[in-house]
Amino acid sequence: MTGVHDLGGSPGAGPIDKSQHETEDWERLADAVTVALDKRGIKTTDEHRRAIESLDPERYRKLGYYERWIAATELLLVEKGILTREEIDQKAAKLEERWG
Amino acid sequence: MSGTHHDLEEHGHEGVKPSAEAGRHAARIRAIEALLVEKGVLAEEDVRRQIEYMEANSPANGARLVARAWVDPGFKALLLSDTKAAALELGIDASGPVEFVTVENTPGVHNLIVCTLCSCYPRAILGRPPDWYKSMEYRSRAVNEPRAVMREFGLEIPEDIKVAVHDSSADVRYLVLPMRPAGTEGMSEEELAGLVTRDCLIGVSMPSFEGVRDSAARYR
Amino acid sequence: MTPAKFEPGDRVRVRADEQPGHVRTPGYVRGKTGRIERFLGAFKNPESLAYGGSGLPEKPLYKVGFRQTDLWDGYAGRAQDALYVDLYEHWLEPARKETL
Repeated sequence: MTGVHDLGGSPGAGPIDKSQHETEDWERLADAVTVALDKRGIKTTDEHRRAIESLDPERYRKLGYYERWIAATELLLVEKGILTREEIDQKAAKLEERWG
Repeated sequence: MSGTHHDLEEHGHEGVKPSAEAGRHAARIRAIEALLVEKGVLAEEDVRRQIEYMEANSPANGARLVARAWVDPGFKALLLSDTKAAALELGIDASGPVEFVTVENTPGVHNLIVCTLCSCYPRAILGRPPDWYKSMEYRSRAVNEPRAVMREFGLEIPEDIKVAVHDSSADVRYLVLPMRPAGTEGMSEEELAGLVTRDCLIGVSMPSFEGVRDSAARYR
Repeated sequence: MTPAKFEPGDRVRVRADEQPGHVRTPGYVRGKTGRIERFLGAFKNPESLAYGGSGLPEKPLYKVGFRQTDLWDGYAGRAQDALYVDLYEHWLEPARKETL
């Protein structure tokens, strides 16, 4: 196997859960921001996939689909020097304070 | 073993739906968006437009493509040779660097679509994929146990029919063109589109008419 | 792009390499032999794009068909079942003719 994401034929895979969760607003936002950055030429789908594949295997398996997207988007924006983690931390804390 | 095999037994259905860390990630993406807009990296309009665009795409687009292909042989030929052009003819904008290919179910072949590496899906036509398509279980088993997977969706493919699985491992996205059910000769295009569900376009289901879901009957 | 090397029907073997970094060749086909089903066009190289490279020159992409019974020990489906994977030319080598 080449990485945690390379799942074809993985042993021990169980039955498929067919339930569907209601997409949350923050998931739509994650989708839209990721694609908007792509359309603006700031990052590519390939960089996005590479960033997701670089997540720690345990985190990869535990995080929700759009949580992986958010982790990847943050990783790339920091890597490209567009944002810093500290800025994101501070802004997240400020928004939390304001809106709860 | 643990370093080289991805044993999914312990992990169940994690990895798709929001986890216990959802709140933290939600806060971060809101912060990221706010900062990107403040710095002029993105416009609020970019994000809003993208949300609207994603919401506008749905399996109904795929159903319309299939229904038109069922009634119009020229359109069917176009759908199979140039899916993007066929989509555009029906007002569906699937432009961009990603290519689309439609694979046809025949009396001898049933097609199933998966992306084992990351859950790629024809989003520009069909909208977002279902949770199960993104699951680790589907991504693992669609390639090596396709018949068992389809059985879990209530679809039994007869033994003499070939099952063809397509792993969208590069920049091509796939749609399945299901066979038109028997007994639908008098139906309008709109009625025909109503028979085609999202699951038919992925390959875990077939269009049914008058409740005839037995695949053996469909393939005869 | 240099002219496509393979044609539909050609037998090809997927390189068995363990190349680090972002690649779009699933582990389950490495070292396996299949047939070119069709040429899908030329695309920018994801292995380069993933790290901010230009992705040029574009690489030919093929749909390659494999017999399921060649890919999985104890495959429980039918002998005629197939699996198609989209693979880049630089991952494919001509396969020697079957001697059996």
